[in-house]
Amino acid sequence: MSDAAFVFAGYGVILGGLGLYAVLLVRRLRAARDASLRIRGEADAPPIDVAR
Amino acid sequence: MKTRILGVVALIAVIGATIDGLLLVPADLHQGDAQRVMYVHVASAWLAYASFGVTALAGLGYLWRRDLRLDAVALAGAEIGVMFTAFAIWGGMMWGRPVWGVFWQWEDPRLTTTALLLALYVGYLLLRRLTDDPARRAARAAVVGLIAAVDIPIVHFSVIWWRGLHQGPTFIDPAKLLDPSAPPLFVLALLAMLGAFTLVWVYLMIRRYQLARLEWQIEEDTRLGRVNAARRAASAGSAVAPAAAEEPAR
Repeated sequence: MSDAAFVFAGYGVILGGLGLYAVLLVRRLRAARDASLRIRGEADAPPIDVAR
Repeated sequence: MKTRILGVVALIAVIGATIDGLLLVPADLHQGDAQRVMYVHVASAWLAYASFGVTALAGLGYLWRRDLRLDAVALAGAEIGVMFTAFAIWGGMMWGRPVWGVFWQWEDPRLTTTALLLALYVGYLLLRRLTDDPARRAARAAVVGLIAAVDIPIVHFSVIWWRGLHQGPTFIDPAKLLDPSAPPLFVLALLAMLGAFTLVWVYLMIRRYQLARLEWQIEEDTRLGRVNAARRAASAGSAVAPAAAEEPAR
Protein backbone atom coordinates (compact mmCIF):
# COMPACT_ATOMS: atom_id res chain seq x y z
CA MET A 1 0.00 0.00 0.00
CA SER A 2 1.34 3.43 -0.89
CA ASP A 3 1.41 6.39 1.51
CA ALA A 4 -1.43 7.98 -0.44
CA ALA A 5 -3.66 4.95 0.24
CA PHE A 6 -3.08 5.34 3.99
CA VAL A 7 -3.80 9.06 3.73
CA PHE A 8 -7.08 8.45 1.90
CA ALA A 9 -8.02 5.68 4.33
CA GLY A 10 -7.29 8.03 7.25
CA TYR A 11 -9.24 10.98 5.86
CA GLY A 12 -12.00 8.79 4.43
CA VAL A 13 -12.85 7.05 7.68
CA ILE A 14 -12.53 10.16 9.85
CA LEU A 15 -14.40 12.61 7.60
CA GLY A 16 -16.88 9.95 6.50
CA GLY A 17 -17.45 8.96 10.12
CA LEU A 18 -17.99 12.57 11.16
CA GLY A 19 -20.48 13.10 8.35
CA LEU A 20 -22.30 9.86 9.08
CA TYR A 21 -22.52 10.64 12.80
CA ALA A 22 -23.84 14.15 12.05
CA VAL A 23 -26.51 12.82 9.68
CA LEU A 24 -27.58 10.07 12.09
CA LEU A 25 -27.65 12.56 14.97
CA VAL A 26 -29.95 14.92 13.06
CA ARG A 27 -32.22 11.98 12.14
CA ARG A 28 -32.29 10.76 15.77
CA LEU A 29 -33.14 14.28 16.89
CA ARG A 30 -35.98 14.52 14.36
CA ALA A 31 -37.35 11.12 15.39
CA ALA A 32 -37.12 12.09 19.08
CA ARG A 33 -39.00 15.36 18.41
CA ASP A 34 -41.78 13.45 16.64
CA ALA A 35 -41.94 10.85 19.43
CA SER A 36 -41.99 13.58 22.08
CA LEU A 37 -44.88 15.38 20.39
CA ARG A 38 -46.82 12.11 19.97
CA ILE A 39 -46.27 10.94 23.56
CA ARG A 40 -46.99 14.36 24.98
CA GLY A 41 -50.23 14.47 23.01
CA GLU A 42 -51.26 11.09 24.44
CA ALA A 43 -50.20 11.99 27.96
CA ASP A 44 -52.09 15.29 27.93
CA ALA A 45 -55.28 13.74 26.53
CA PRO A 46 -58.12 14.12 29.03
CA PRO A 47 -59.48 10.95 30.66
CA ILE A 48 -62.27 9.35 28.58
CA ASP A 49 -65.67 10.30 29.95
CA VAL A 50 -67.20 6.82 30.05
CA ALA A 51 -70.29 7.94 31.96
CA ARG A 52 -71.57 9.85 28.94
CA MET B 1 -31.59 28.19 12.86
CA LYS B 2 -28.31 29.46 14.33
CA THR B 3 -27.18 25.87 14.91
CA ARG B 4 -27.99 25.02 11.31
CA ILE B 5 -25.88 27.97 10.11
CA LEU B 6 -23.08 26.76 12.39
CA GLY B 7 -23.35 23.31 10.78
CA VAL B 8 -23.04 24.79 7.28
CA VAL B 9 -20.05 26.96 8.31
CA ALA B 10 -18.40 23.91 9.95
CA LEU B 11 -18.90 21.85 6.78
CA ILE B 12 -17.34 24.57 4.61
CA ALA B 13 -14.43 24.90 7.08
CA VAL B 14 -13.77 21.13 7.02
CA ILE B 15 -13.83 21.08 3.21
CA GLY B 16 -11.39 24.02 3.10
CA ALA B 17 -9.03 22.53 5.71
CA THR B 18 -9.11 19.15 3.93
CA ILE B 19 -8.20 20.73 0.59
CA ASP B 20 -5.38 22.59 2.35
CA GLY B 21 -4.11 19.46 4.13
CA LEU B 22 -4.36 17.15 1.13
CA LEU B 23 -3.51 19.37 -1.84
CA LEU B 24 -1.97 22.72 -0.88
CA VAL B 25 0.54 21.88 1.86
CA PRO B 26 3.68 20.13 0.51
CA ALA B 27 4.59 16.60 1.58
CA ASP B 28 7.03 16.23 4.46
CA LEU B 29 10.66 15.69 3.48
CA HIS B 30 11.04 12.61 5.70
CA GLN B 31 7.51 11.28 6.22
CA GLY B 32 6.21 11.99 2.71
CA ASP B 33 2.44 12.15 2.18
CA ALA B 34 1.78 10.12 5.35
CA GLN B 35 2.38 13.30 7.34
CA ARG B 36 -0.94 14.69 6.00
CA VAL B 37 -2.81 12.27 8.27
CA MET B 38 -1.43 14.24 11.22
CA TYR B 39 -3.87 17.11 10.59
CA VAL B 40 -6.96 14.98 11.20
CA HIS B 41 -5.25 12.74 13.79
CA VAL B 42 -4.10 15.57 16.08
CA ALA B 43 -7.36 17.51 15.70
CA SER B 44 -9.35 14.38 16.62
CA ALA B 45 -7.14 13.72 19.65
CA TRP B 46 -7.51 17.27 20.98
CA LEU B 47 -11.27 17.22 20.59
CA ALA B 48 -11.39 13.87 22.38
CA TYR B 49 -9.61 15.54 25.32
CA ALA B 50 -12.00 18.50 25.12
CA SER B 51 -15.07 16.23 25.02
CA PHE B 52 -14.02 14.18 28.04
CA GLY B 53 -13.00 17.36 29.86
CA VAL B 54 -16.52 18.70 29.30
CA THR B 55 -17.97 15.38 30.54
CA ALA B 56 -15.89 15.58 33.73
CA LEU B 57 -16.75 19.24 34.40
CA ALA B 58 -20.45 18.74 33.66
CA GLY B 59 -20.44 15.66 35.91
CA LEU B 60 -18.85 17.66 38.69
CA GLY B 61 -21.45 20.38 38.11
CA TYR B 62 -24.23 17.80 38.29
CA LEU B 63 -22.98 16.42 41.62
CA TRP B 64 -22.96 19.97 42.96
CA ARG B 65 -26.20 21.38 41.49
CA ARG B 66 -28.20 18.17 40.70
CA ASP B 67 -29.33 19.76 37.43
CA LEU B 68 -30.14 17.15 34.76
CA ARG B 69 -29.22 19.58 31.99
CA LEU B 70 -25.60 19.19 33.12
CA ASP B 71 -26.00 15.42 32.80
CA ALA B 72 -27.14 15.95 29.19
CA VAL B 73 -23.96 17.98 28.55
CA ALA B 74 -21.87 15.20 30.12
CA LEU B 75 -23.53 12.58 27.93
CA ALA B 76 -22.94 14.66 24.79
CA GLY B 77 -19.25 15.01 25.68
CA ALA B 78 -18.82 11.28 26.34
CA GLU B 79 -20.49 10.07 23.16
CA ILE B 80 -18.71 12.59 20.92
CA GLY B 81 -15.45 12.00 22.78
CA VAL B 82 -15.65 8.26 22.12
CA MET B 83 -16.08 9.01 18.42
CA PHE B 84 -13.12 11.41 18.31
CA THR B 85 -10.93 9.00 20.30
CA ALA B 86 -11.72 6.24 17.79
CA PHE B 87 -10.84 8.66 14.97
CA ALA B 88 -7.57 9.65 16.68
CA ILE B 89 -6.62 5.97 17.03
CA TRP B 90 -7.55 5.25 13.43
CA GLY B 91 -5.61 8.29 12.15
CA GLY B 92 -2.61 7.29 14.26
CA MET B 93 -2.69 3.79 12.79
CA MET B 94 -2.89 5.12 9.22
CA TRP B 95 0.11 7.34 9.95
CA GLY B 96 2.01 4.73 12.00
CA ARG B 97 2.04 1.96 9.40
CA PRO B 98 3.96 3.90 6.70
CA VAL B 99 6.16 5.85 9.17
CA TRP B 100 6.81 3.37 12.03
CA GLY B 101 6.19 0.19 10.05
CA VAL B 102 3.44 -0.97 12.43
CA PHE B 103 -0.21 -0.08 12.93
CA TRP B 104 -0.09 -0.54 16.68
CA GLN B 105 2.29 -1.34 19.50
CA TRP B 106 0.97 -2.22 22.96
CA GLU B 107 4.31 -1.32 24.59
CA ASP B 108 3.82 2.34 23.64
CA PRO B 109 2.39 4.29 26.60
CA ARG B 110 0.53 6.87 24.46
CA LEU B 111 -1.21 4.20 22.40
CA THR B 112 -2.08 2.00 25.36
CA THR B 113 -3.39 4.83 27.57
CA THR B 114 -5.46 6.12 24.63
CA ALA B 115 -6.99 2.66 24.16
CA LEU B 116 -7.73 2.66 27.89
CA LEU B 117 -9.38 6.10 27.55
CA LEU B 118 -11.63 4.74 24.81
CA ALA B 119 -12.54 1.70 26.92
CA LEU B 120 -13.29 3.87 29.97
CA TYR B 121 -15.75 6.09 28.12
CA VAL B 122 -17.39 3.20 26.27
CA GLY B 123 -17.90 1.81 29.80
CA TYR B 124 -19.32 5.19 30.85
CA LEU B 125 -21.90 5.01 28.04
CA LEU B 126 -22.78 1.40 28.91
CA LEU B 127 -23.13 2.28 32.59
CA ARG B 128 -25.76 4.87 31.72
CA ARG B 129 -27.97 2.07 30.34
CA LEU B 130 -28.06 0.19 33.65
CA THR B 131 -30.82 2.24 35.25
CA ASP B 132 -33.93 4.13 34.12
CA ASP B 133 -33.87 6.49 37.09
CA PRO B 134 -32.50 9.77 35.64
CA ALA B 135 -31.08 11.08 38.94
CA ARG B 136 -29.35 7.82 39.85
CA ARG B 137 -28.01 7.43 36.30
CA ALA B 138 -26.66 10.98 36.27
CA ALA B 139 -24.97 10.60 39.68
CA ARG B 140 -23.31 7.29 38.80
CA ALA B 141 -22.20 8.60 35.39
CA ALA B 142 -20.79 11.77 36.95
CA VAL B 143 -18.61 9.76 39.35
CA VAL B 144 -17.37 7.44 36.57
CA GLY B 145 -16.78 10.43 34.27
CA LEU B 146 -14.63 12.10 36.92
CA ILE B 147 -12.62 8.94 37.59
CA ALA B 148 -12.11 8.30 33.85
CA ALA B 149 -10.91 11.89 33.34
CA VAL B 150 -7.79 11.05 35.37
CA ASP B 151 -6.58 9.24 32.23
CA ILE B 152 -6.65 12.45 30.11
CA PRO B 153 -3.44 14.02 31.53
CA ILE B 154 -1.85 10.56 31.65
CA VAL B 155 -2.49 10.17 27.90
CA HIS B 156 -1.21 13.65 27.16
CA PHE B 157 1.96 13.53 29.26
CA SER B 158 2.72 9.85 28.59
CA VAL B 159 5.09 10.86 25.77
CA ILE B 160 7.07 13.00 28.23
CA TRP B 161 6.93 10.65 31.23
CA TRP B 162 7.78 7.38 29.46
CA ARG B 163 9.70 6.20 26.43
CA GLY B 164 7.77 4.77 23.48
CA LEU B 165 7.34 4.86 19.72
CA HIS B 166 5.16 7.98 19.82
CA GLN B 167 7.07 11.24 19.40
CA GLY B 168 6.92 14.07 21.93
CA PRO B 169 4.71 17.16 21.59
CA THR B 170 5.34 19.21 18.43
CA PHE B 171 4.12 22.60 19.53
CA ILE B 172 1.89 22.21 22.58
CA ASP B 173 4.91 21.77 24.83
CA PRO B 174 5.09 25.18 26.62
CA ALA B 175 8.78 25.47 25.68
CA LYS B 176 7.91 25.03 21.98
CA LEU B 177 4.72 27.10 21.92
CA LEU B 178 6.32 30.18 20.32
CA ASP B 179 8.89 28.20 18.34
CA PRO B 180 7.27 25.01 17.03
CA SER B 181 9.59 22.41 15.56
CA ALA B 182 7.28 21.90 12.56
CA PRO B 183 7.43 24.30 9.56
CA PRO B 184 4.87 27.17 9.71
CA LEU B 185 2.91 25.84 6.70
CA PHE B 186 2.34 22.54 8.52
CA VAL B 187 1.41 24.31 11.74
CA LEU B 188 -1.08 26.52 9.88
CA ALA B 189 -2.64 23.47 8.16
CA LEU B 190 -2.94 21.78 11.55
CA LEU B 191 -4.49 24.88 13.14
CA ALA B 192 -6.94 25.18 10.20
CA MET B 193 -8.04 21.58 10.66
CA LEU B 194 -8.23 22.04 14.43
CA GLY B 195 -10.42 25.13 13.93
CA ALA B 196 -12.67 23.35 11.42
CA PHE B 197 -13.03 20.26 13.62
CA THR B 198 -13.77 22.49 16.62
CA LEU B 199 -16.68 24.05 14.73
CA VAL B 200 -17.98 20.56 13.90
CA TRP B 201 -17.49 19.58 17.55
CA VAL B 202 -19.51 22.56 18.80
CA TYR B 203 -22.28 21.76 16.30
CA LEU B 204 -22.38 18.08 17.30
CA MET B 205 -22.28 18.93 21.03
CA ILE B 206 -25.30 21.23 20.66
CA ARG B 207 -27.26 18.63 18.66
CA ARG B 208 -26.35 15.77 21.04
CA TYR B 209 -27.32 17.92 24.03
CA GLN B 210 -30.68 18.69 22.41
CA LEU B 211 -31.19 14.98 21.75
CA ALA B 212 -30.29 14.05 25.34
CA ARG B 213 -32.80 16.59 26.68
CA LEU B 214 -35.50 15.25 24.35
CA GLU B 215 -34.76 11.63 25.31
CA TRP B 216 -35.10 12.57 28.96
CA GLN B 217 -38.35 14.41 28.21
CA ILE B 218 -39.68 11.34 26.36
CA GLU B 219 -38.85 9.16 29.40
CA GLU B 220 -40.76 11.57 31.64
CA ASP B 221 -43.72 11.86 29.26
CA THR B 222 -43.89 8.07 28.87
CA ARG B 223 -44.11 7.73 32.66
CA LEU B 224 -46.81 10.41 32.75
CA GLY B 225 -48.62 8.64 29.90
CA ARG B 226 -48.60 5.35 31.86
CA VAL B 227 -50.03 7.10 34.93
CA ASN B 228 -52.71 8.77 32.81
CA ALA B 229 -53.56 5.46 31.10
CA ALA B 230 -53.88 3.78 34.50
CA ARG B 231 -56.21 6.58 35.66
CA ARG B 232 -58.31 6.21 32.51
CA ALA B 233 -58.52 2.45 33.00
CA ALA B 234 -59.50 2.96 36.65
CA SER B 235 -62.22 5.50 35.77
CA ALA B 236 -63.49 3.22 32.96
CA GLY B 237 -63.61 0.31 35.42
CA SER B 238 -65.57 2.31 38.01
CA ALA B 239 -68.08 3.38 35.32
CA VAL B 240 -68.58 -0.17 34.01
CA ALA B 241 -68.98 -1.71 37.45
CA PRO B 242 -72.21 0.17 38.41
CA ALA B 243 -73.66 -0.58 34.94
CA ALA B 244 -73.01 -4.30 35.46
CA ALA B 245 -74.60 -4.08 38.91
CA GLU B 246 -77.78 -2.55 37.41
CA GLU B 247 -78.15 -5.37 34.84
CA PRO B 248 -80.88 -7.80 36.09
CA ALA B 249 -79.83 -11.36 36.93
CA ARG B 250 -81.11 -14.00 34.48
